[in-house]
Amino acid sequence: MDDGLAYTVIGTAMVVAAFSGLMALLGRPPRLPHLVGLGLVELVLVVYAVLAMGKMFTGERPDAMATFVGYLLTAVLIPPLGALIGWAERTRWGSMIISFACLVVPIMVVRLQQVWGVWDG
Amino acid sequence: MAEPADTGPAPDPGPGVPEKTPEQTEVQTPEQTEEQTVAGPAATGTGPGRVLVAVYGFFALAAGARAGWQIATRLQEAPLAYLLSALAAGIYLVAALGLASRRPAGRRVAIACCTVELAGVLVVGSLSLLIPDVFPRATVWSGFGIGYGLVPLVLPVLGLLWLRHTRRPAPG
Repeated sequence: MDDGLAYTVIGTAMVVAAFSGLMALLGRPPRLPHLVGLGLVELVLVVYAVLAMGKMFTGERPDAMATFVGYLLTAVLIPPLGALIGWAERTRWGSMIISFACLVVPIMVVRLQQVWGVWDG
Repeated sequence: MAEPADTGPAPDPGPGVPEKTPEQTEVQTPEQTEEQTVAGPAATGTGPGRVLVAVYGFFALAAGARAGWQIATRLQEAPLAYLLSALAAGIYLVAALGLASRRPAGRRVAIACCTVELAGVLVVGSLSLLIPDVFPRATVWSGFGIGYGLVPLVLPVLGLLWLRHTRRPAPG
């Protein structure tokens, strides 16, 4: 998959993770900016997923397609799940959950890139 | 509902955590006050516990999606490894639900899951290093979960510690 797009997803997720982590350290519960951040992460992830699916249907296949699709589905579900659980916890720990969710996304993207065969694993 | 407005604060978040700000106490959810009308053990699914619920949820999802797909497409390659991954995913899901639950049964379920998980990661982790042929394909628990940043090893320990921490009702 396209490197630039992968870095965009990773960068966005890291920024939101840092912001939420800082809010957790300061003892702040999740607020609207957290959700906007998660929304941004989800948006770039969906763009990544749609382009990956498009490439798969037009011939270019990852080395291990099964694993790739499994990871892709998981990655796309992480920000909404983080938003649901994090928002329900109206303390600093809610911000922590959102931060964790955003840290998992880059890990998933690195794995996705490795499975696709572009990045060394 | 004729219940005391405040029968006790949320579970002690542990050392090093400053007291809640007024802003945080005023946004207590209804279920937090409801659960504390019974003088049972403190809730396992709020505060730091909710972080555990989230991490267990992520793991159930990640391991589940991977194992489900592997079983559907190439079970014959490594049936034991793939079925074990699916089992691990199931245990993570039940652990998340048990921790999130407010009922005493939830606590017992969570304790059972964390214990099985810890035993699983230790046994499978040792086996995968001593007799690699048993698991030709990696599972969540292979190499003590090194493929997942050792989180599978740390998570059940944190879970059991948290369950022990919340065993008694919150003070006050």
